[in-house]
Amino acid sequence: MSGPPSTEPSDGSVDSLESETSRRTMLATTGLAVATSGCLRHVRSAVNRDGLEPLSVTITTLPSDGDRESIRLTRRVRDALEAVGIDASIELLASDEFLRAVLVNHDFDLYVGWYPEATEPAFLYEALHSTYADEPGWQNPFGFTDLAFDDLLEMQRRTDGDERRDAVAETLEAFVTHQPFVPICAPEEYRLVRSDRANDWRRFHPGTPLGYLDLGAGGGEIERLRAVHTDPRPSWNLNPLSVEYRNRGLFTGLLYDPLAVTPAAGTVDDEGDPPLADGGKADARYHPWLAESWEWAENEDGGTLTVELRDDCRFHDGEPVTPADVEFTYRFLVDTTLGGDGVSTPSPRHRGHVAPVVVDEIDADGARIELPIAGGEPAAERALAVPILPEHVWRERSASTDVTGVQVADGTTDAVVLDNVPAIGSGPFEFVDRNEREYVTFQRYDDHFTLRNDVDLPGPTVEEFRVRIDPRSTSAIEIVSNGDADVTTDPLESYVVDETVALAAETEGVELLESPARTFYHVGFNFRKAPFGNPHFRRIVARLLDEAWLVDDVFDGHARPLTVPVTEEWTPDALAWDGDDPAAPFLGSDGEIDDVAARDAFESAGFSYDADGRLRVRR
Amino acid sequence: MLLQVLVQLTAVVTLMLAVSTVVLIGRYRLRDTRLEWRDRVRATAPITIVLALVLLFNGVARDWVPDVSLMIGWHVTELIYDVEQYVILWLQSQATPELTAYFSFIYIYGYVFLLVFPLVAYFALSNTRPLRELLTAYTLNYVLGLCCYALVVAYGPRNIMPDLVQPLLYDTYPQYQHLTRQVNRNTNVFPSLHTSLSATVAFLAYRTRRIYPTWAVLATIFALSIGISTMYLGIHWVIDVLAGVGLAAVSVALSGHLVGRFSISAWLENHVPSSDRIGTTDRPRDAPERTTESTVSSEDE
Repeated sequence: MSGPPSTEPSDGSVDSLESETSRRTMLATTGLAVATSGCLRHVRSAVNRDGLEPLSVTITTLPSDGDRESIRLTRRVRDALEAVGIDASIELLASDEFLRAVLVNHDFDLYVGWYPEATEPAFLYEALHSTYADEPGWQNPFGFTDLAFDDLLEMQRRTDGDERRDAVAETLEAFVTHQPFVPICAPEEYRLVRSDRANDWRRFHPGTPLGYLDLGAGGGEIERLRAVHTDPRPSWNLNPLSVEYRNRGLFTGLLYDPLAVTPAAGTVDDEGDPPLADGGKADARYHPWLAESWEWAENEDGGTLTVELRDDCRFHDGEPVTPADVEFTYRFLVDTTLGGDGVSTPSPRHRGHVAPVVVDEIDADGARIELPIAGGEPAAERALAVPILPEHVWRERSASTDVTGVQVADGTTDAVVLDNVPAIGSGPFEFVDRNEREYVTFQRYDDHFTLRNDVDLPGPTVEEFRVRIDPRSTSAIEIVSNGDADVTTDPLESYVVDETVALAAETEGVELLESPARTFYHVGFNFRKAPFGNPHFRRIVARLLDEAWLVDDVFDGHARPLTVPVTEEWTPDALAWDGDDPAAPFLGSDGEIDDVAARDAFESAGFSYDADGRLRVRR
Repeated sequence: MLLQVLVQLTAVVTLMLAVSTVVLIGRYRLRDTRLEWRDRVRATAPITIVLALVLLFNGVARDWVPDVSLMIGWHVTELIYDVEQYVILWLQSQATPELTAYFSFIYIYGYVFLLVFPLVAYFALSNTRPLRELLTAYTLNYVLGLCCYALVVAYGPRNIMPDLVQPLLYDTYPQYQHLTRQVNRNTNVFPSLHTSLSATVAFLAYRTRRIYPTWAVLATIFALSIGISTMYLGIHWVIDVLAGVGLAAVSVALSGHLVGRFSISAWLENHVPSSDRIGTTDRPRDAPERTTESTVSSEDE
């Protein structure tokens, strides 16, 4: 104790000290007044204890201009948390800032948003595997780590057929126990289209690149396709690896070809997935695209995919697409530094797709490419769905990005931060022009293989594809119904759906397409912060959200309430929605939380409340 | 669609300007203006050029200021929301179709008219000081406003309460979105530049109330309506509007100090001996006493 000696003699009584308000400020005088070391130890052990603190959390989400449903859900989540004594505030971030904060920096407590592509349970692997807990991107933004759960995810990846179905069911059972995030609902997708300009809208899902191919082939005289897009980000950035500027990569999907595609039906009325004629097996999920064909050979480590590329395909700049480009793409997605920096930086997108590929053993010397796969056939085929990048453009982007005078985080490569305009791929459309926040224009790539006579695949039929940026559904609808645009590429906000149904019924040449949900809304927890690592806490929060009521309140009923984040086809019977969430039944009724029951639930899980009714935790 | 809205806007505002010019300015002032316009243009040219440069810069800066503010800015939406969500909700609960039509009209057309008319009205005065003060105050509004936008990141009420706060303007009249999108970013809400520019006009109209008494009253009504409309339409918070009034007060006060202090013609006179005196009412820079000029002299009455 080196405090200045007190000038006033102290009375030395411990009792009088206890009546003082602050213990710590009295330490200096105590040190002198209490002479014996035993007393000092007593004081130290009293002073150096931290108590529990009232829990205060921030929910990160998008403003209404970014996503109307997200902010509305967030306010409901906040009300639910406040009802049980948790102080919750909302942080609004612009779309790119939101994704950067949540996915790259992991700087959040809770977030509300939507998962971009969740049509196949395979996405659970990258979303929840503990290997990815620290990686930036859509791979495990939560920081969830559980060894038993990892085993289930790996089982799902290794197997096929019924075995895989069982593995998925088991994974989902574990999912509802852990509630690593709380799935809320899968929103139906509505788009307004001009059926008088093209009548093929129903064939493929308009949220996927295939939806914009073969338009007008079945009638209609469409030459220029004019789209209205409410999200301005494609006019800023066309980088297929950028996680902040992509939702599900619709436009980059038209610029870059994958080796294989998964056709999805355009409307909810159509049964099953639409067929693709060329070479695919009747029941296959993946169909050859830039790959002419592939063969799967199983072995003890998984298997090998032998891929045959189509002949004479070229990138938009005239360079040929070679097996070396394919090999490069897989190496690059696994580590965008290509091993140069000593710090591995995997792509923040497509991480789960390339995960089973053993990139060091790819053989691309001949005309064929051999991809060794540590997994089953479904995992192998999924690996074929990544955009093939031209090596001559992207190799130099493995360099660390350089911002003069600023320290950039290790392993931040040009590849993940460049806006990649003009984008050079080999896809059915090529980039022409853009004006930020106003439009992006693409044109048909006349040398695309789908336009060859001997290839029977949907190809780019329209000469020009112009995407006009218009920030709100209401004005997008007006533009389409006036005949100034052909399609709203982003799904309509749910609050305008009902009136658009009426509008489409009375306007000639306009149709409202309802397409199957491909995304889901959820509440994400950051396991890196207390108390979100505690499964009891997450399970009770899951029970504070009345999904059915939220669907009515926020989505006007245009969504499917979820118990598990997969399509109905993959949902095990025991976990199917039965008017309530069978795994996490709502603590209350009709959106009204039963405060007492909820607080009891927290208390029986070991949490406690202070005198003011605030939930206390150790942080 | 933007073009259509612009044409409509130009037509309506031109009509409003024509009527008010005839009614409020009067033909004697217009007659004098026809004789003296060259001198007046010369006197106001420097500050007009400065304002034009600031507006040009503003046009460019709009694209990168959001990037800067997202790096260094202070996020305050939640703070404001906690304090005043109920004020905006109350205001919106008063909504009727008539009020929405009125405030939408005021927000778009009334605002443009309010900013343009004083340019005409003050140009019609022999004393160019009010005009120069107005242009200076506009310039200051934009410069200071831009600084605030870089430092403060906040979303307006419609962005956090889309269901409760009806985005009345954009849902009732989606076409206006194209117009306001050209000049605003959704994180630029603090302060309300709509309010500050309107209040600037009103403050200056009060100063010139002896010349344009009717305008002083009209400008006050317009400015109040515009301030309220920004909140009613869910675009701004109360604090943005108050800050807007504050910004207007600062801009008007500063412009009162700055106008007449820097004279290009006096500088030319001192440095280019042979040049003719360029018409201006400014006194030379070293004039000992300026304060008497601060309100408009009676020569215009």
